[in-house]
Amino acid sequence: MSMLIAQSRAEMIRMIRNVYFVFWSLLMPVLFYILYTRIFTTDAVDAKEWNAHYLMSMTCFSVMGSSIMTLGIRLVQERAHGWVTYLRVTPLPNSIYFGGKMIGQTFIHLCSIIVIFTSGYLINGVSLTFSQWVSSALWILAGSLPFLALGTCIGTLRRVDTASGLSNALYLSLALLGGMWMPLNVMPDWLAQIGRWLPSYSFGNGAWSIIGGGVPQLRDILLLGGYLAVFMLLSTYIRSRQKEA
Amino acid sequence: MNSHNNVIQLDNVSKQFGKKQAVRQVSLQIAQGSITAILGPNGAGKTTTIKMMLGLTSPSSGEIKILGLPPGHKQVQQRIGVMMQDVSVMDFLTVREIIRMVHSYYPSPLDTAALEKLTGLSPADLNRRAEKLSGGQKRSLNFALAMTGNPDILFFDEPTVGLDSETRRQFWSQIRTLAQQGKTVVFTTHYLHEADEVADRIILFNEGAIAADGTPEQIKNGMTKRTLSFTYIPPLNGGSRESAHTENDETAAAANQAMIEKLSGVDQVLYRQNRCILQSQDTDALIRQIITMQLPVRDIRIETGQLDDAYASMLNNVKEEQ
Repeated sequence: MSMLIAQSRAEMIRMIRNVYFVFWSLLMPVLFYILYTRIFTTDAVDAKEWNAHYLMSMTCFSVMGSSIMTLGIRLVQERAHGWVTYLRVTPLPNSIYFGGKMIGQTFIHLCSIIVIFTSGYLINGVSLTFSQWVSSALWILAGSLPFLALGTCIGTLRRVDTASGLSNALYLSLALLGGMWMPLNVMPDWLAQIGRWLPSYSFGNGAWSIIGGGVPQLRDILLLGGYLAVFMLLSTYIRSRQKEA
Repeated sequence: MNSHNNVIQLDNVSKQFGKKQAVRQVSLQIAQGSITAILGPNGAGKTTTIKMMLGLTSPSSGEIKILGLPPGHKQVQQRIGVMMQDVSVMDFLTVREIIRMVHSYYPSPLDTAALEKLTGLSPADLNRRAEKLSGGQKRSLNFALAMTGNPDILFFDEPTVGLDSETRRQFWSQIRTLAQQGKTVVFTTHYLHEADEVADRIILFNEGAIAADGTPEQIKNGMTKRTLSFTYIPPLNGGSRESAHTENDETAAAANQAMIEKLSGVDQVLYRQNRCILQSQDTDALIRQIITMQLPVRDIRIETGQLDDAYASMLNNVKEEQ
């Protein structure tokens, strides 16, 4: 147990000190939030609802980014730099190595949620009920799982450059097509159709349902669960293949 | 050396990477408390052998036992310390934080204060980010990390590459102290003099197999044979040296071959340009035979090979073959 605590603690410290992470996961979403709720505003939409909706979008965007990019790229880096080789000759079990990473990530996601929710409140005075704040935060924490699994898939790549390029491309297209930057209904119909099947849409949609006064739909839960299973299988499969080689 | 205190045992271990045979049929035992150098040129199979002992890669055939258990077994991992080549340290953490983290991996570790002392780093450096340390300082940190679990066996892969001579000297003096405490040390190196100075046993690897195994003294004797060399007196007047493949030359070569075969006490015959080089333990006896037999040779030289030369020539041979 002390092993897991020490490992998680180290992972948390590393994330907080990482400027790259702070920029992508905290600063970017907050900047986007300011941009799309204070600067480019249209009268057509209900401002109050839009501010809350877009706050959820940006929080999901942040957490998804840290799950795919930070986790994936760091896994590749640690292997490329020989750190993983070193750990394999120590008694540290692989499960604790990954466990520490997941706990570290979740802690960081919680920080992201708190920071972005707070800035929503401060910038636009977004007001939700206490249970809406809490349940949307919990939804975002739980909904990050398939993206963490996707991050571990990225983490099987050999080169940091490839991992960084691929995770960037995946992250940005998932965000765009999942309706995190702009609602799907302003996109061409065929694009929106594709978007509705992406995990990013279901991730955001759950949070949007909560702030709209509802609960996440079963379809979104099932889709996210399905993606989680697929990404976990894929990651496990690649890792077992690499071990044989 | 009896089998009770052998802490490492390899039986007929081979490793194949695709078509390349990296390690061939290696069998060896390493006794507790010994310092063993695995010596050899790059690509000789040293690192692959160490990696198999550590359980980082599994042998294609053969069996390895570390402390009586398969490599990679948790109980083995708790009792070994490892310093690999080119291992960077985890980024965004200070030296102290890394030590504390690795400390948590072992059931009966050295205390963190002792480990901090082992790094030889100043208190200010201990609070620095580990990735910002110099190459030598990182190596010192890696050494401390290898010692964290208070291991019984220490593995070092090319531990002194890139270290200045003073740091190197300090490193080896620490290693000797550890061996005196009963710890077993296995390290790879391609520096012969390092193996000679530090190890009490050298296992010489060449092309994936053990080429020699013994004390530094034995290895040196085996590698520094005396040689006697001479040039032939052309046996026929027409036998010009420039035309390499005339019938006369072939006849001459055959005649020489026959002469040399008559000599006793020759271990190896080498031909280099016009010189014939004979390796022998007793060059005095050879010279007597040559005089008595009145062999048509001139410019006889007797040389004692320098250890470094012998090793360097072995390395060159390997490179040419690759």
